[in-house]
Amino acid sequence: MSLQLSEKHFTSAQPESAARRIVTFRVGDRTFGIDVGMVREIKGWQATTPLPHAAPHVRGVLNLRGVILAVYDLRTAIGLGSTEATATHVIVVVDVEDKTAGLLVDSVSDIVDVPVSAVRPAPDLERDEHGLIEGLVLLDTEIVALLDLAAVIRDGGDNQDKQLRVA
Amino acid sequence: MDPLAELKQTFFQECEELLGALEQKLQALDEGSTDSEDVNAAFRAIHSIKGGAGAFGCTELVGFAHVFEAALDHLRSGRVALADAPFTLFLRCSDAVADLVAAARNDEVAPVRPDLLAALEQVGQAKAAVPAAPAAPPAAPAAPASDGPPGIAALGNLLAMVDAKMGAPAAAAPAAANDGWDDDEPVAAAPVRRPGHDVRIKITPEADLFRRVIEPRVAIGILPADEIVSVACDLSHVPPLETLDVTDCHMRFTVMMRTELSADEIVSKFDFTLANEEFEVEVLAEAEAGPELVAEAAPAASEVPQNVAADLSAILARLGPAADAAPQPDIQPAAAPAAAPVAAAPAIATAPAAARAAARPVSNEAAARQRQAVSVRVDLDRIDRLMNLVGEIVITQSMLVECVRSLPYDVYAKTAEGILTLSRQTRELQDHVMAVRAQPVKAVFQRMPRLVRELAQTLGKEVKLVLEGENTEVDKTIIEELADPLTHMIRNSMDHGVETPEERIAAGKNPEGTIKLIAEHRAGRIVISVTDDGRGIGRDRLLAKAKSRGLVGADEKLAPEEIDQLIFAAGLSTADAVSDISGRGVGMDVVRRNVESLGGRISVDSEPGRGCKFTLALPLTLAVLEGMVIRCGDDRYVIPIASVIETQHLANTPIEHLTFGQEVLRWRGEITPLHRLGAVMGSAGTRDENIIIIAETERGGNVGIAVDEIVGQQQVVVKSLESNYGTVNGASAATILGDGLVALILDVDSMLRLAASGVRQPVPELKLAG
Repeated sequence: MSLQLSEKHFTSAQPESAARRIVTFRVGDRTFGIDVGMVREIKGWQATTPLPHAAPHVRGVLNLRGVILAVYDLRTAIGLGSTEATATHVIVVVDVEDKTAGLLVDSVSDIVDVPVSAVRPAPDLERDEHGLIEGLVLLDTEIVALLDLAAVIRDGGDNQDKQLRVA
Repeated sequence: MDPLAELKQTFFQECEELLGALEQKLQALDEGSTDSEDVNAAFRAIHSIKGGAGAFGCTELVGFAHVFEAALDHLRSGRVALADAPFTLFLRCSDAVADLVAAARNDEVAPVRPDLLAALEQVGQAKAAVPAAPAAPPAAPAAPASDGPPGIAALGNLLAMVDAKMGAPAAAAPAAANDGWDDDEPVAAAPVRRPGHDVRIKITPEADLFRRVIEPRVAIGILPADEIVSVACDLSHVPPLETLDVTDCHMRFTVMMRTELSADEIVSKFDFTLANEEFEVEVLAEAEAGPELVAEAAPAASEVPQNVAADLSAILARLGPAADAAPQPDIQPAAAPAAAPVAAAPAIATAPAAARAAARPVSNEAAARQRQAVSVRVDLDRIDRLMNLVGEIVITQSMLVECVRSLPYDVYAKTAEGILTLSRQTRELQDHVMAVRAQPVKAVFQRMPRLVRELAQTLGKEVKLVLEGENTEVDKTIIEELADPLTHMIRNSMDHGVETPEERIAAGKNPEGTIKLIAEHRAGRIVISVTDDGRGIGRDRLLAKAKSRGLVGADEKLAPEEIDQLIFAAGLSTADAVSDISGRGVGMDVVRRNVESLGGRISVDSEPGRGCKFTLALPLTLAVLEGMVIRCGDDRYVIPIASVIETQHLANTPIEHLTFGQEVLRWRGEITPLHRLGAVMGSAGTRDENIIIIAETERGGNVGIAVDEIVGQQQVVVKSLESNYGTVNGASAATILGDGLVALILDVDSMLRLAASGVRQPVPELKLAG
């Protein structure tokens, strides 16, 4: 079960000149968003191979059509513990910097256009010392936290058990 | 990439090949080949380099290549006998050209070696003097030659002529269409006259000349500069401005020369740059030469170099008396048959190049060109992508096999045959794609002669390098990794193996040492050996050194073969003086480590006084490897078969527990550390170790690895973990198993480091026996 995102899904609705198109997804009762341009594909959960002594939010690696990529558990990254992954969980495959990575989330909710002016800077939340949140968007009913993917992947929520560096 | 940069890149790629060919041919000639095709090929190679370099404005390279080419031309024309030719010099020059090419590639300017240049000039001059002796003394050099070598100066001179001609009338030319330089005024008289006959060459390039990366000055520059009387450019074919395409060549040239070259020889010179129908060579009878010259050769007097003017006027001076004389024998055109039909006319022998080229027997050169045409240049990236896809298919196919197994028997039987065929075809496809990636080791081997030459000079030794099996093919991933170990091995043999000529004579050997570099396929691996006939390994000194470094116990007794293996131990060098070549003790141990990290082996056989042989065995590719699939708890891993020595049941193995949970086992009389893989790698699930795999480490020791189960043995496609994640301790890469899941490929040494980082433990002791 996988949904290939491509341009043609979006060409019907012309975006406003200064708008960002955001893919939103949920982890628990929270909603997060990333720019649609970073999303390569959305696929159902599939088992990963754990990596020895990796950071806790690194779930392991999987095979995406012959390319090996690492899957990061967003729940762990934001400090809510580990996801009990089931077939209904979703891996958002994203391009971050020059790498491809998977983000394990509960579900993908929507694709929305938000005016750039509606994006507010992330307040200095005491819990977000890792700078995972890049900004906040107020939608009708909820607050969407825009993720800084590079930070999510780099640090996760807890890096006490970072990869061992052995000379 | 912009087209010019792309062209440039292609040029440098070709240069690599051309340099290889040049060196190879020179080497063959040096070793006594008398095949004129070798000379021609060497000449063509340097000529092509020069041509391309000119197009990209690599001035130093053009200058040097030109002089080099001129020297080789003396060989080609037979003015210098092959036996007398200084091939050592030529080989050094080909190294110098390689340096210049490398510099040009990096947009740097490398200094031209004046000593080589001077030596090359010498070749030219010594030769030229010999045949010219009975006739009139050769003409004065073309240029004042106050600055720079005469060859370059002469070329510069010619270029200046062309430039001057092309510059001055260019503005006027389009207006007065037929009023080019063809009919300017003649020049005054002077006494000098070179021997030979007058030749008129009409060059009518196709419009795509520039796009073929050929410059007129390069095409014309191939002629001996001092034999050119004039170069005229006809601009009458330049179209009106509106339709002018500046990338088209609209220029026509008429070159007048006074030369001893036959028409055929001139034709063959142009063959490299111009198509047959693009030029026409006419040998002019004396009687005809005059008026033609007056009409054709028309440089503005002020712009003509003095000697050209002098030559020209000499021709004019001779015109009168010769007008009604019969053509002299020495100016008979070489193309006799072609001369016959036009004999009625006062002896202009016109032989269109095309006709003559057709009449010539098909030369080796033409055959060589045809051979080249059947191969295609393919970007390595594309092959990699293809390889990737084939890897996918292999995985999908094994996935399919597992699916089919779960089908009811009657369905299974029907599909099984198809699946079997598919498996065979997939494997075949993989082999073929691997074959496309395979390259002959020549790519690496051909760098070695230069290394040997340079080292021989530095070390004052005489060494002959013999290459065998250069066409042995191996995957490109291995080719890339071969250069360093081979360089080290050759250096080692040059420095420590082969003795100085004096020592060799004293030992009753040929003063010239021999190093053999041999490649061959053996048992699915590539085996490369470096054999020298030097002094062999100095066992006493090696052992003394190892003892002084504490690598070997003071009272330990080692078999001679064991001592030889010490050469691979870290930090040992027996060179008495530390030299640039080797002797910093970072030679063979580094080679061994690198080779083993590639899944290869290196060994040494030495016979004191007779020589030493290093043998390197490597897998044919790094893209796939033969692996043992093992399980620990819920996780599966692949351990390269190359690392595995043997497997045994845990229950049958005596295990001792040391401090901090560290375990050792006794294996073949050795105490071998034991690690439980699941614990080291943090495998999930409950573990129940049953099996011990004895594996070899890079440092030469062994280690026991306890695992739950051996799942099987299979060929796996190596996938990078770095490209999308990063380095993973304990693993070198990953692969995808038949069920589509990823398994890590274990790196034994990295796994040991990972284990050591958890529990403090001594570094495994160096084991000496191989």
